Amino acid sequence: MTLLRAENLTKRFVSRGPLGARAEFTAVDRVSFDVRLGETLAVVGESGSGKSTTARMIAKLMDPTEGRLEFEGEDVTTAKGAALARFRSGVQVVFQDPFSSLNPRHTVERILMAPLLYQGIAPKGGRRAHAKELMERVGLNPDHSLRYPAQFSGGQAQRIGIARALAVNPKLVICDEAVSALDVSVQAQVIELLRRLQHESGFSYVFIAHDLAVVRQIAQRVAVMSKGRIVELGPTGQVFGDPQEEYTRTLLAAIPRINPEWDRRRRENS
Amino acid sequence: MARYVAGRLAGVVLILFLVCLFTFIIFFTLSPDPAVMICGKTCTPERIDQIRDVLGLNQPLVTQFLGFLTGIFAGRDYGSGANLIHCSAPCLGYSFQTNQSVWDMVVERLPVSATVAIGAAVLWLLVGILAGLLSAVKEGTWWDRTAMGLALGGSSVPNYVLALALQYVLVVQLQVLPFPQAVAFGDDPVLWFQSYLMPWIVLATGYACLYARLTRANVIDTLAENFMRTARSKGLSPALTMRRHALRPALTPIATIFGMDFAALLGGALITETVFGLNGVGKMAADSIAKNDQPVIMAVTLLAAFFVVVGNVVVDLVYTRLDPRVRITTP
Amino acid sequence: MSELLEVEDLTVTFRTTRGPVDVVKGVSFTVAGDETVGIVGESGSGKSMTSLAIMGLLPKGARTAGSIRLNGAELLGRPDRELRRLRGDQLSMIFQDPLSSLNPYYTVGLQIEEMYRAHRGGTRKAARQVAIAALGQVGLPEPERRVDHYPHQFSGGQRQRVMIAMALVCEPALLIADEPTTALDVTVQAQILRLLADLRRQSGTGMVFITHDLAVISSIATRVLVMRRGEQVEYGTAEQVFAEPRHDYTRMLLESIPRIDDEVEEMTA
Repeated sequence: MTLLRAENLTKRFVSRGPLGARAEFTAVDRVSFDVRLGETLAVVGESGSGKSTTARMIAKLMDPTEGRLEFEGEDVTTAKGAALARFRSGVQVVFQDPFSSLNPRHTVERILMAPLLYQGIAPKGGRRAHAKELMERVGLNPDHSLRYPAQFSGGQAQRIGIARALAVNPKLVICDEAVSALDVSVQAQVIELLRRLQHESGFSYVFIAHDLAVVRQIAQRVAVMSKGRIVELGPTGQVFGDPQEEYTRTLLAAIPRINPEWDRRRRENS
Repeated sequence: MARYVAGRLAGVVLILFLVCLFTFIIFFTLSPDPAVMICGKTCTPERIDQIRDVLGLNQPLVTQFLGFLTGIFAGRDYGSGANLIHCSAPCLGYSFQTNQSVWDMVVERLPVSATVAIGAAVLWLLVGILAGLLSAVKEGTWWDRTAMGLALGGSSVPNYVLALALQYVLVVQLQVLPFPQAVAFGDDPVLWFQSYLMPWIVLATGYACLYARLTRANVIDTLAENFMRTARSKGLSPALTMRRHALRPALTPIATIFGMDFAALLGGALITETVFGLNGVGKMAADSIAKNDQPVIMAVTLLAAFFVVVGNVVVDLVYTRLDPRVRITTP
Repeated sequence: MSELLEVEDLTVTFRTTRGPVDVVKGVSFTVAGDETVGIVGESGSGKSMTSLAIMGLLPKGARTAGSIRLNGAELLGRPDRELRRLRGDQLSMIFQDPLSSLNPYYTVGLQIEEMYRAHRGGTRKAARQVAIAALGQVGLPEPERRVDHYPHQFSGGQRQRVMIAMALVCEPALLIADEPTTALDVTVQAQILRLLADLRRQSGTGMVFITHDLAVISSIATRVLVMRRGEQVEYGTAEQVFAEPRHDYTRMLLESIPRIDDEVEEMTA
């Protein structure tokens, strides 16, 4: 079942240079894809590929210049008011930098209760208990619910960001470079958490990333973007195992790899 | 670039027109009847009518405004017949108080204000930037804390307090300076300098304190930049590292702020000029407001607006020269 | 193999309001004249502080103990005046973010020239020719034209090439590269890594390569030092560290890295 459908999404930016020169730049050029219920679709690309702009458009944090966005069969391209509120309770975003996307002056509890207040949701047992429950689900100690974001490590703060996204029980979570800023050991744990949460609740991810190896761990399908367009879209194994496009091949070839011979020996030893 | 400059100049003209319009509306409609004011105590209704006729005050407001604008660019005639007075361009009208041509008054007083502004600017740039630099380099030391404490205090002392205190100490008590007099540089350079010294100090103090703090903050920020680490890793001498790599990035924003501050000062330093009895544009503004001398009020308002608006454009143009990231946008 | 750089029991201490904190605790390693040693660690491991200690560029208030010898001569405790003569000439460094590491107010040519002239003297004209040659050597097209461009006129990868050209202009004995490819796209990273390896081989410069990315290290380093919270966890040849890691932390790191070529277990969709 299709949860979200992007049709020919296009974003053009018009900039005025400091000397008055007008320049138009197409950041995203007629991008179309579906997100199915329960799947993880990764959007990968290098800087300037348009992947983050695409993420912002499907999260409705930015309006497309052209194109159409459907969520659960409903056209939400120009949704406002109640329709937008409904969309927001169905689609949530986890951002790259947890510290700048969480209010430093609010306790974790308050951060996790806020989405419910905005949406007017009153969970059984109260919002406070719900917040603690969320903390537990993302592997944080619920006794720390009155702490501030700065009192957590980077990985823990990102768990708060994930818990905040899950507070309204969304159907789609957009992860915009959600693990890119983390150390590899922490990154592995957060990826594992994201997989587990999806397994438990059955929501979908759109996973925006520049790191193809990370995408490999989590996505069933992958869209490769370059210069504002999707150059290749297909099942992860197929795109990575047998890329059809020259650009995808270049990208895959450029990824640094640990000497496979050394890796094999290490695995045999352990 | 040419298109940009043309656009900006068109903006300047538009803003000045709007300033004209609004000051005209405010001063010529909301304030008391100028004819009555000019007429004075021994006044007859006939005399008032005559004055109104000469000044064109009984014409519609739009006509009066157009007359004012025409006067600036082409000159204008006041009254008719035997009472006809021609005021050649640039005509800003005549003072209600002294009947002097306002343009002549401005021309006479502008050099005084410019002298005050330039002298003060030299002083505050020297003192402010040097103090700020020293504070930045010696961040956290005894010198830094003292200088910044003084700067904070100095910028909160009102100019008239400082002016009176200086006069009392230097002129009355210690008698190291004569009381300021209006004297031309050519006549007595020493007395000229002595006369302007206190106004310069008074005006420069607040700015120097502000610039010291700005400079300190900018230099400290710049010293923490990654390119400063690169400069050190290259083995450049500390002098070159400081002069080339830290100063230009740190002082560029200050140059732009300076341009605006200086332009605003050319429009007259109201309090300082008044306290020291200097016949500059600022004192002219204060006097005209006190006596409701509308043509003069119009002129000083326009003049100040002119300097601020033009100063702004000049600052933006200079900035494009100072920062290559703005000048060259093509990769 | 003669040792170019010998770091012995290096400790870096910061004074903080909560008392002294050791950010580097007793690190020892050597770099031969013609090899690349990788220092790998996560954030807060002390890898960057180690490199700044070698350059003598630690922040004010940092105290060092131990020994850092370049060609047998002790660097620690030398007055800054003497270290300055070595920096840029014998020891050079490139950084993570090439845009902020170059001064935006000056052309790249001037920034290369000033470094060359600080150590070799000569006229601006002569230094300019050296700068053009250096830019050409790092594969920038049209170096005669590009020498007069400002940093913001280059792409991220080109800027790092400029940094490399600058770092190598005095033919240093040792190049320290601190996360030089972390801010770059993966395709650009591959080009820069190849360039660094080629130039290093041609010039016979020793290199210390600092990164958080084990895969990058495996492709460029002959020896690897693994750091964690200021401590040296593991030190050995790249082959030994990657194939037979002795420490649990190294093993954990190696297992954490997502691998592009692995078969991933099927996920329920």
